[in-house]
Amino acid sequence: MNGMHGIIFSYEKKTGLRELIEHRVHGSIPFGGDYRVVDFMLSNMVNAGITDVGVIMHGKCQSMLDHLGSGKSWDLSRRKGGLKLLPAFAYTEHREGAGQFRGKMEALGCVKDYLSHIRQDYVVLCDSDLVINLPLDDVLSEHLRTGADITAVCTSHLGDSSDTYFKLDDAGRIVDTVRDVHTPVGYRCLNIYVMSTELLLRLVEDCMAHNEYSFRGAVLQKRGATLRIGGYVWDGYAARINTIQTYFQRSMELLRPEMRGELFCPSRPIIGKVNDAPSSYIDPTGECVNSLIADGCDIQGTVKNCILFRGVQVEKGAEVQNCILFKGTTVKSGAILRNVITDKYVTIKENGTLMGHESYPLVIARNSEV
Amino acid sequence: MKKECVAMLLAGGQGSRLYVLTGDMAKPAVPFGGKFRIIDFPLSNCTNSGIDTVGVLTQYRPLELNSYIGNGQPWELDRVDGGVHILPPYQSATGASWYKGTANAIYQNIGFVDLYEPEYVAVLSGDHIYKMDYSDMLRCHKESGAACTISVMEVPWSEAKRFGIMSVDGADHVTEFAEKPKEPKSNLASMGIYIFTWDKLRQYLIEDEADSASENDFGKNIIPAMLRRGEVMTAYRFEGYWKDVGTLDSLWDANMDMLLPGSGLNLLDKSWPIYGRSTVCPPTMIGPAADVGNSAIAKGCIIDGEVKNSVVSIGTVVGEGASVTYSVIMPGAVIEPGAQVHYAIVGENCRISSGASVGAPPESASDPDRWGIAVLGPGTVVASGQQVAAKTMLDRHQNGEVRA
Repeated sequence: MNGMHGIIFSYEKKTGLRELIEHRVHGSIPFGGDYRVVDFMLSNMVNAGITDVGVIMHGKCQSMLDHLGSGKSWDLSRRKGGLKLLPAFAYTEHREGAGQFRGKMEALGCVKDYLSHIRQDYVVLCDSDLVINLPLDDVLSEHLRTGADITAVCTSHLGDSSDTYFKLDDAGRIVDTVRDVHTPVGYRCLNIYVMSTELLLRLVEDCMAHNEYSFRGAVLQKRGATLRIGGYVWDGYAARINTIQTYFQRSMELLRPEMRGELFCPSRPIIGKVNDAPSSYIDPTGECVNSLIADGCDIQGTVKNCILFRGVQVEKGAEVQNCILFKGTTVKSGAILRNVITDKYVTIKENGTLMGHESYPLVIARNSEV
Repeated sequence: MKKECVAMLLAGGQGSRLYVLTGDMAKPAVPFGGKFRIIDFPLSNCTNSGIDTVGVLTQYRPLELNSYIGNGQPWELDRVDGGVHILPPYQSATGASWYKGTANAIYQNIGFVDLYEPEYVAVLSGDHIYKMDYSDMLRCHKESGAACTISVMEVPWSEAKRFGIMSVDGADHVTEFAEKPKEPKSNLASMGIYIFTWDKLRQYLIEDEADSASENDFGKNIIPAMLRRGEVMTAYRFEGYWKDVGTLDSLWDANMDMLLPGSGLNLLDKSWPIYGRSTVCPPTMIGPAADVGNSAIAKGCIIDGEVKNSVVSIGTVVGEGASVTYSVIMPGAVIEPGAQVHYAIVGENCRISSGASVGAPPESASDPDRWGIAVLGPGTVVASGQQVAAKTMLDRHQNGEVRA
């Protein structure tokens, strides 16, 4: 046993994230004041001692490429191993230039050469759109202890019917995998899987040979009876970012100390990209309460119940409540904002008023002037 | 490989006038402005000025400074050729000695400078807070054909006697230099920032070393010797914010200047960024009961109390009902609920318990001479009920003294 290798799937999905995914994939959506969504799984890997990570990407990957860079911020810029970006061209040839994959197994099949060079005996597969602080080393220990072929991380917090659900027996073995059920029941799948590298290679080859592409369909469901698939139940904070509403609600939860305590627990720090912004400044005329603020903000107006990313400016007389303002947002004097999400470098002009509703926040697209 | 200009950064001073703050670390490693350390300023100035080869001369308690600088990556000084180098005193075939003075420190590293065959060498201090374009100073140095260019700034006449004062002629060539003159003839103060033509400096350093009466100091020996011998010495006039943070009061002042619009020290200014090594921590939470005004807050803090006119560094906790005013809180300090901190510098990882108080506002002092900022050295724990009076210093072994 010589450790675990990480594979992150970062691809476009059709979800209700509207303007937030106009220019980016789910994994590079800003979250929690100072992070991108992918930072969470990446940090989980680093905190579990993983040194080699592959990111399978296609679609609007520019912002993801910019964010990850060489992997230096996560100490993954290594002579051997480290962060490997596996962009779309790796499999265009295979699918005759289509540049799209239909499912995880197909994507893996297209980077088979990369898989065959994995140095570690175990792999963890995960998506890049999950905000979670998960002890992956514990998942691996549990995987080894139970002797399962595959260990899937799941939660008893139910979501909606489009999610995948597991039925677990008393021994913690997954006996059924379902989706699109009318009433969700059982354990919700978090799309994090641990297995041996050898099994992964075998499954990829077998699926390719049978033109099977979906991990859930071809592996969890079809091969569920012959493989021993165990469930690892995680009931801590885990947010899948798939709609504006969940994004807003799960972000705002971070204003509660117990939620922050779970997600930002000091023993497993979440690592974001290194930046050079100075401290934030709060003016004598400014007021800032119950808010999460990143570095480099200049607050001269009123900020309540907000999440402010790096370098946000709130001018004198502006009032911002229940808002999430991405990097470089400027709120000019006299503007009033409620339940608004502004993407990067948005400017809200003088005396403007923008109101969303808690259940339907207003999203302002990147670089807009409103 | 040949470089046009190499910077030598003097970072070996004990910083004894920072007392408890430098008990375990060199002065340039002292935190500043919430996210930075003092040495970030000269290092970032080098990076922003296009100088990619920097020697950092260390001597006194260098561990914290060494690990902070590391490979120089935060300042982009991790270069294939050049980059940042820590230069402690070392042993040679003929023996070893500590750096006897600022000039001797460079003298002992002539071999290092020669590796890069530079035409010019910038000699910088590791304890100044300022933003300066050394490339412009270098341009001035080249244009004037000087052997040495000294950065100067105008100071109020009343304060001139506290500085090294340069008298200049119409072409800004230095005609006279006086260290802390009783009757200053000029109000141009030396900032302790020099650019030398390396051939010249090299020769003066060797001669200075041979003179056993010399204190081997730039201000006291090298500059006067060059002036005596009629070398061309140019004053480079600097306008902008500059402060020597060698004393507790000036360190506190410089932090407060950061909060003052118009002081010239604007860290939010993006045109001349200051870089520093970052710590991994989440954004700062300013709680529902917090009351924050005119303050700079770094990331990783949890603020539930009152913070006014203060600089709060990374990872500080201010509990509910606690009050922090006119203070500099260094990284990782915990100010428990209800604790009082006024006009103080609180060192790294201090804990101020509920019911304790540190410092006092000037208006509360009966005798103005007995008032001053209170200072806690790194790791000091102030117990519940304990009061650290104004102008008092306390270290982590509870050794206290009233500052002179």
